[in-house]
Amino acid sequence: MSKKPSQPLRKPTQKQAATPPKQKSSVFSSQLSPAKLPVLVIFFALTWLWAAWYYGSVFYISREYSFWVADLRMMDFILSCPYGGIRYVGRAILQLYKFPWLGGLLLALILTAGSWLTGYCLRLRGTWRLLQYVPALVYVAVITWHGLDIFFEARTGFIFGIPLVALNVLCVCAIIIRSFKVKPLAATSRGKGWAVGFIILCFAAIIGFDQWQRPYVRVICQLLDMEYKQDWAGIQKLARAHSMMSNRPMACSYAISLVQTNQVAERMYDIRLDYDSLHIHGIDWQHNNASVLYVPEGDYYGGFIESSMHACMEQMVMTGPTVRLMKLLIKCALMREEWELAEKYLAILRRIPFEGAFCEKYGAMVRRIDLVNSDPEMAQIRLTEPIHDSFENQYQAPLFMGYNLMLVEGRSQQALINSLCVCLYTKLMPQFVERLEPIIGTTPPSIIMDGIMLAENKHPGLMKHFTGLNYRQPQLQAFIQATQPLMNDRAGHAKELFPKYKGYYPYYYFFGNLKATKKGYTSLSSSNSGVN
Amino acid sequence: MDSMKRYTLLYIISATLFLIVACKPKAEVPSQFTETNTEAQIYPDYKDVVVPPNIAPLNFIVRDSDATASVVHLHSKEVELLAVASGNASARMDTTQWRALLTASRGSDVAVDVYTKRPEGWVHFKPFKFSVAEEPIDAFVSYRLIEPGYELYRQLGIYQRNLTTFDEVPIYENNREYADGENHCINCHNFRMGSTESMLFHVRSNHGGTIIVQDGKAQKIQLKDSTILTSGVYPSWHPTENLVAFSTNKTGQAFHIYHPEKLEVMDARSDLLLYDVSKNEVSHIIRTTDDLETFPCWAPDGRTLYYCTSNIKPLLIPSLPDSTVTQQLLLKFDSIRYNLMSIPFEPKTRSFGKPKMEVNASVENKSISVPRVSPDGRYILYTKGDYGQFHIWHKSSDLWVKDLQTDSCYALTEANSPDTESFHSWSSNSRWFVFTSRRMDQNYTRLFIAYFDKHGRAHKPFVIPQEDPEWNILLLKSYNVPELSRDAVTISMQDLHRCIYETEGENAVYKPNPTAIIEIDGTTGASRRADNK
Repeated sequence: MSKKPSQPLRKPTQKQAATPPKQKSSVFSSQLSPAKLPVLVIFFALTWLWAAWYYGSVFYISREYSFWVADLRMMDFILSCPYGGIRYVGRAILQLYKFPWLGGLLLALILTAGSWLTGYCLRLRGTWRLLQYVPALVYVAVITWHGLDIFFEARTGFIFGIPLVALNVLCVCAIIIRSFKVKPLAATSRGKGWAVGFIILCFAAIIGFDQWQRPYVRVICQLLDMEYKQDWAGIQKLARAHSMMSNRPMACSYAISLVQTNQVAERMYDIRLDYDSLHIHGIDWQHNNASVLYVPEGDYYGGFIESSMHACMEQMVMTGPTVRLMKLLIKCALMREEWELAEKYLAILRRIPFEGAFCEKYGAMVRRIDLVNSDPEMAQIRLTEPIHDSFENQYQAPLFMGYNLMLVEGRSQQALINSLCVCLYTKLMPQFVERLEPIIGTTPPSIIMDGIMLAENKHPGLMKHFTGLNYRQPQLQAFIQATQPLMNDRAGHAKELFPKYKGYYPYYYFFGNLKATKKGYTSLSSSNSGVN
Repeated sequence: MDSMKRYTLLYIISATLFLIVACKPKAEVPSQFTETNTEAQIYPDYKDVVVPPNIAPLNFIVRDSDATASVVHLHSKEVELLAVASGNASARMDTTQWRALLTASRGSDVAVDVYTKRPEGWVHFKPFKFSVAEEPIDAFVSYRLIEPGYELYRQLGIYQRNLTTFDEVPIYENNREYADGENHCINCHNFRMGSTESMLFHVRSNHGGTIIVQDGKAQKIQLKDSTILTSGVYPSWHPTENLVAFSTNKTGQAFHIYHPEKLEVMDARSDLLLYDVSKNEVSHIIRTTDDLETFPCWAPDGRTLYYCTSNIKPLLIPSLPDSTVTQQLLLKFDSIRYNLMSIPFEPKTRSFGKPKMEVNASVENKSISVPRVSPDGRYILYTKGDYGQFHIWHKSSDLWVKDLQTDSCYALTEANSPDTESFHSWSSNSRWFVFTSRRMDQNYTRLFIAYFDKHGRAHKPFVIPQEDPEWNILLLKSYNVPELSRDAVTISMQDLHRCIYETEGENAVYKPNPTAIIEIDGTTGASRRADNK
């Protein structure tokens, strides 16, 4: 009686002992021994978390800065480049990042499978098995190191292309090893704790590095994501939460959200506007000013539809089409009532996976100017479109700034407010004062009030033309009194004063954006261009 | 087990193939259908066009949102052709049958019946027709593919399309991946009288120069001299002598911020040059400061050179320095107007005569560019717009001709559209011309072919056929500078690549032409013969 229950348990054990592990179809499963499984699972989970939650927004924007359709003719601009095939496939898989959890899942699976196969192919045993995770961790580290560069010049095909090629190579190696019936390694539990610790440590180091050296990467991508989804409140909340961080793409997104919600003259200086250097490189890996990230959108939301199209086209020439450019061109074509052109771009965008909702929304506007003009975003843009034609090169770049510095006639009060705000931003007070006339007798928004009070010094009597300024005067006096001793070293004190005077225009006037406004407003460098 | 798997796989493949074949509509005219009084919506528009007998199949898409299939029945007196399509896919004609249909229909009409399958059954649309001309078109057209007219350039190429098939081959492509040291622009390819035996094009920026191909060999030359504004720009091969007339232009462009036309390309200065290919010598034909001369074009007998000219003196403020000319012209961009001129040429002595006004467009506030004389010498085809010379960005630009026998000028109304018509090239029999137009989407230039009958009348044009007609929509590049030729370019891309990358280019020797028109002081307005270099 006592032997009976033990028999079923003992039998397989005996069988295993008699015929050494049924390895014919379990070479791989031998690697997945109970002792090792948790490490792989932990690695997979951590990679997924990194790829979907931590860096998901960066990959999401990478997809927006990419372009993929099944039609090989349309992809010739990539296929004819070095490693075109890999980039094509990489871009195809990147499409899954329309849903970061899904794209992240696939990336995590590829990296996990790659790690597992690395261990198998290199015949690693014991604590050496730690090494199997090194290539995947190096990949994660390199991606993090590159930051914005992973998508900036549309090199997006490599994001998935490289791990996919590595996985394929490893698969081939594994099959060859298996074909030669190389004896599989015995499973061991040694090193498991080390492995988990090592992996966690690596991820912590990578994320730590990112937070230390590239904290803006995720924030910029999250802001761009919100911008594309027209989540203006979200942009404002996120930008203010990172108000000490300062870069032009962030400032532009934030300004766009304020213009769209009529708050630009109230809240523009809630974030620091000193513009720290970004790790970003253009064609030929030369350091770039990142204007590519915001000029097309800046022009579009500033009411300069043709200039936005111009900027989009220039980028399309240099990087090929991208989802983001296609979408912006569709909106521009609709705004300009170029219906056939909008249909053309829509026909192309429809071929890109997961873009049905956008195509449906904007496809309905073709030949329906009433729908275009009643769209909240487009209606707001209409308010600031120029009244008269002129040429881009008559203004400082970027146009959405340069034009507003010279605005003589606006379509709306919003256009005037934007112009006044640009004059204040560039600290060009004579231009600011010249444009105040239409709002004489009113109570201006707070930033404009502060600008008027600062201009009073050189234009005595200016304040009396406006109402509501008196209650802000004590604040200005207190500010000047408090900062007077620091005026000799404004650059040195700018950062420490920002938290105290966040949102206050006089602080910006005296301490903010000193590099760009030192000698008056300076434009961006012009591109290498010519008539084709 | 293995064989079981194999059979399963075989079954799946067979079933899939069966489904694919079964789902394709049968190529037969439906026996039962409902008649409609409407015409079928087809893309591109091939209704009532005149086509050459050697053109590739005019595949088109039947646009019927309710349709799950369509049948297209083309028939002439003797031959018929059936094509089928699923849903809104394109109806693709069989090339052999198409060829037979066109051969049989030469000089007559082809009727087209379109049927679509809707949920309620087959529908037959009102038939339409197209005509097949007797005369063939030159078999090849070369063009540049480029994003529409912006400042930067990257993946550029000059391609050659065989119009009798769908074959397109690159003549030359620049670097695919951007590299600062390698990036270059290529433009203004040109052949001598529709023959590719003599060909040229320019390379700008890195590896720059003018590439001349003769006898299958490519060489790079540099048309530079202190008296030459830039280098050679718009070319025209002399029909009999080994000469090329070039314009040399100081060109700039500016982008509108609120205008139906997106940008304006203008010259601040331009002159005409004559380049002797055999001697590698260059001289001025006309060199002036007050006039902008451009777009030279030889008459087929080689004894007259046509060109466009604009007098900019009235637009400029004399007290302002030369460096402000571009900005001054920019402010008056819509007042710059070009007339059509001609200047006699004696090939033996290489001497030029007195310029003559051919079409005074400026008096009617119009402007002319791109004159091209028909190979039979009877007509000059040109574009006429409201202002300027870079008409590809001018919606007012239309195709016009001047009949050199009667001196009458008229618009080619049938060929024109409300949008831009611009660059054009004649077929060597003078019965066809190809031209660029933005009529499809106002932005991306496509090539259209028009029949030009012996009475000097153009017929409704059609876009060059594509194997997949949707390619006209999906292609994100413009067709630029179409040039028809009877034969294919034979020099290989590798040879051109070698010439461009590995040679510096020989400098042309500047040799003044005593009969040139030189007027460089700009104050007296007096013309002086003899170059004063």
